[in-house]
Amino acid sequence: MASIVLRGVDKIYAGGVKAVNGLDLEIKDGEFMVLVGPSGCGKSTALRMIAGLEDISGGEIHIGDKVVNHLPPKDRDIAMVFQNYALYPHMTVEENLAFGLKLRKMPKAEIQRRVVEAANMLGLEGYLKRKPAALSGGQRQRVAMGRAIVREPRAFLMDEPLSNLDAKLRVSMRASLNQLHERLGVTTVYVTHDQVEAMTLGDRVCVLKDGVLQQVDTPQNLFDRPVNLFVAGFMGSPAMNFVTADLVRDGIAFANYRLPIPASTFTDKPGLGDYIGRKLIVGVRPSDFEDARSANGHNEGWARIPVRVSVTEELGSEINVLFTIDAPPVMHKDALALAQDAAGDEADGSLPLGGGKSLWTARVNSRSQVRPNQDLELVVDTHNLHFFDPESGLAIGHPANVRG
Amino acid sequence: MTDPLDGRGDPRDGDDAVRGAAPPATDPPRPTAPARLGPSPALAVSFLLPAAVLLGALVMYPIAYSVVRSLYDAGGDGFVGLENYTAIFTDPDTLVTIRNNVIWVVVAPIVVTVIGLIFAVLTERIRWGTAFKLVVFMPMAVSLLASGVIFRLVYEQDPDRGVANAVITTVADVFRSNTGYPGARPRENDLAPATVADGAVVLRQPTQPGQSVLFPLVGLNRESLPADETPAAGAPARPGEITGTVWLDFTPGSPGAVNTIDSAEKGLGGVSVEAVAGGKVAGTAVTEPNGTFAITGLAPGSYTVRLPAANFEAPFNGLTWLGPTLITPAIIGAYIWVWAGFAMVLIAAGLAAIPRDALEAARIDGATEWQVFRKITVPLLSPVLLVVFVTMIINVLKVFDLVFIIAPGSVQPDANVIALEMWRVSFGGGGNQGLGSALAIFLLVLVLPFMFFNVRRFRREQ
Repeated sequence: MASIVLRGVDKIYAGGVKAVNGLDLEIKDGEFMVLVGPSGCGKSTALRMIAGLEDISGGEIHIGDKVVNHLPPKDRDIAMVFQNYALYPHMTVEENLAFGLKLRKMPKAEIQRRVVEAANMLGLEGYLKRKPAALSGGQRQRVAMGRAIVREPRAFLMDEPLSNLDAKLRVSMRASLNQLHERLGVTTVYVTHDQVEAMTLGDRVCVLKDGVLQQVDTPQNLFDRPVNLFVAGFMGSPAMNFVTADLVRDGIAFANYRLPIPASTFTDKPGLGDYIGRKLIVGVRPSDFEDARSANGHNEGWARIPVRVSVTEELGSEINVLFTIDAPPVMHKDALALAQDAAGDEADGSLPLGGGKSLWTARVNSRSQVRPNQDLELVVDTHNLHFFDPESGLAIGHPANVRG
Repeated sequence: MTDPLDGRGDPRDGDDAVRGAAPPATDPPRPTAPARLGPSPALAVSFLLPAAVLLGALVMYPIAYSVVRSLYDAGGDGFVGLENYTAIFTDPDTLVTIRNNVIWVVVAPIVVTVIGLIFAVLTERIRWGTAFKLVVFMPMAVSLLASGVIFRLVYEQDPDRGVANAVITTVADVFRSNTGYPGARPRENDLAPATVADGAVVLRQPTQPGQSVLFPLVGLNRESLPADETPAAGAPARPGEITGTVWLDFTPGSPGAVNTIDSAEKGLGGVSVEAVAGGKVAGTAVTEPNGTFAITGLAPGSYTVRLPAANFEAPFNGLTWLGPTLITPAIIGAYIWVWAGFAMVLIAAGLAAIPRDALEAARIDGATEWQVFRKITVPLLSPVLLVVFVTMIINVLKVFDLVFIIAPGSVQPDANVIALEMWRVSFGGGGNQGLGSALAIFLLVLVLPFMFFNVRRFRREQ
C-alpha cells in the first residue's frame, strides 16, 4: 500500500492537445479517490499516466516514496481494472488470475492459495476452469477484479469498471466494491463519469474539467459547497437549477419571483454583500424544493414560489417536477459545458425552450401527487441557495475563492 | 484459392435443394400434386447445372483422367498398373525431388510465417509502418517468373554482378585483411633461403636477433601488384631485432640475380611476418611498402621466421549460390522474399484485431514486452498464424516457377521439386505422361489434407 502524489502533471498529445493540465493531487494511503468529470476531461488519461500506460509530458508522479515517471507499468506494483475487463481470452479464469503471479515467479502453492482466496471473495469458485467467453458480464468483471486482488498491489486503478454492466448489477457491484475496499484497505483510484458512483464510492472525489482540476473534497462537501458553477452543476442528480438574478439588500429577484435571503447567509458567505445591486448566478438544488402542502411543519425561512408543472417524473418515493420559469437559461460557459455533457451523443437531448424560458427541476415527496399541467406551490429552502459570480463562475463566499 | 470456395458452395446448394423438397407433407390444401414451398426439383437442377458442368469439366474430369492415365505407360497404350507409382519411390532422381520438397515444406512455411510475424509486429510500432508494409508486400505484385529472373541475377557468382555475393564479400572483407598475395611462393630449389610449410613461407635457417633475412618470392605478376609498391630495399641489421625484406625476386626482361635485391625489383608491402620460438609466436611485424620489416622486442635466442599462410590465401569470392549444394536454400530465399509480405499483411490484420486492453493489462500484470508478445499476442494470433502457415504449406508443395527459372539447367536435377519433375517428365523432354500423371496425383494426395484442413477452418469461422 502506498500514497500516490501527482505534482503539476501535464499530458500533451501529439498535435498539441492538452489532455491533462497541471494536475496536483494527493491520494492518501488507503484512500478511495474517485476521479470524475464529463467525457474528455482527462480523467482516464490521468489514471493511465499513474499506471504507466501513457508518457508524462510534465510534472511528477510519486507512488509511495518513489518517483515513477519513467518506470514501466510492471515495476510500479499497481493493478488496474479496465472498462471492458481486458481478460486474456485464451486463458481460463484460473490462469487469468494467476498470470501476474506466475510472471513474478511466485511459488505454486502461494499462487494457488491466493487464487482460491480471491475466487472465494468474489464468488468465482465454480468458474475457475471456464474461459472468459463462457462468462456473463458481471462474472467477467469479477474476474478482472480478482486479477487485481490476487496481486496484492500497492494501489488499485479502476477505469470505469462498472460502466459495461446493466443498471442493477452496477448497483450491487458498487456495494461489493465498497466492501472490498473496506476489507482490503488498498489505495484505490477510480475513474468514472457517473457522479452517483463518485458520490457513493469515494472517500474523496476529484472533479476534472478539460484536464484541469476543479475541486477535491469529500462527496458531501462537493455537494454542499461546490467551488464553482461547473462542480455545482455536475454533482447531484437531478442537476442544480441555475438562474441569473439581481441581488438586492435582503433577497434576490429573478423572473417574477423574489426570494428573501436569511441574514446568516451574508455572514456565511463573505463577499456576497459586495454583489448587492448587481447580477449574479443563483443555484438551487432540486432537493431544496418541497411541495408547500406537504411541507407544513417546517416552512420557516422557506420562500414560497407558485409554478405551473409541465412534466413529472415519478420515482416512487419522490417526484421530479419539471417546470419553466420566465428567465433565459444561464449562458455561462460552465453551464453550457454541462448542458452539452448531459445531452451526450444525442443531438436533441434537450428540448429547445423558446422565448427566454428555462427548465427547472424540483424534487418533491410523492405524497404531493402532483400531475402535469397543475399549478403547484413550492417552497424553497433559502438557507441552501448557491451564489456564483456571473463572470468567473466561482462560488461566492467559498473558502477556496475568498482571498486574503 | 478457388478450391475452398467450391468445396463450400457445393454442399450448400445441396442443402437448399433438400429444404425445397421437404415441406410437401405439411401442406394439406392441395391433395393431388404435393405442394411445395421451394422451387421444383427441375428448377433446382437447372440452377445447379451450370456450376456442376463447369466443375465436372474443369476439375473432376481432369482429376479422374489423370488417375486413369497414371496407370498407363509413356505412350498411353499399355496398362502398367501401379508401376508408375513404384517408379516415383524407387527412381533416385524422383527421390531427390521428394527430398527437396520435404526441405521446402519444413523450412519455407515456418520461415515465411516467422518473418511475416516479425515484420507485422515491428511495422505496428513504427511511424512509417504503412510505407514499409507496402514495400514488403510489393514482391507479391511481381510475377513469379520475373522474381525468378531477378533472383537468378541476385545469386550470380561474380560479386560485381550478383548482389548476394557482393554483400557477403563486402562483409567478409571487413573482417579480413585484403592485402594478400595469392600465388606468391619461394623458388623451389635448395638454394632458396625459404621454403613452404603448411602454406606458410618459412626460412630454412634459424635466426637470431640482430640478423637480417631475405624472403625472395616469385609467382606473382608484376602488373597485379598495387601501383604504390616501391622498389625493394635491403634492411640493415640492428641489434635485438630481426630485420629483413620480402620482395618479388624477379626483374622483367633481364634475369637479375637470384635471391638478391636488384634495383628494379619491387617490395611486397603489408605482409605479416612472425618470429616463432618453441612453437609460439614471439614477435610479429608487417612489411613496409618497400618490403622491409623489423621484429622488435625479442629475447636473445634462436627463432624461426615465417610468413603465415594468411598472406597467400586467395581472396574470398562469395558463395556458389547456384551450385548443387546451395541451390535449394537459395530458391527458398527467393520464395521467402516473395511471400513474406503476404504473410505480414495477413498477420498485421490479425494483430489489429487483438484488444489493446489485454496487452495493457498484461503489462500492468508485470509482463515484459517479450512476455506480452509470447504469452498474449502470439496465442491470440494463433488462428491467423495457422491459416498463413497452412496456406504456405499448400503453396510450397506445388512450387514450380521459381525453381524452374532460378536453377540453371545443369543443377536443375539437384533443385528439382515434384511439380517441376511432373512437368519435366510429361512435357519438358521426358515424354512420359503416365509417370507425369502419377506425380500429379501424388502431389494432389499431399495437398489434400491441408486443403481439407483449410476448408474446415473457413467453414467453422462462418
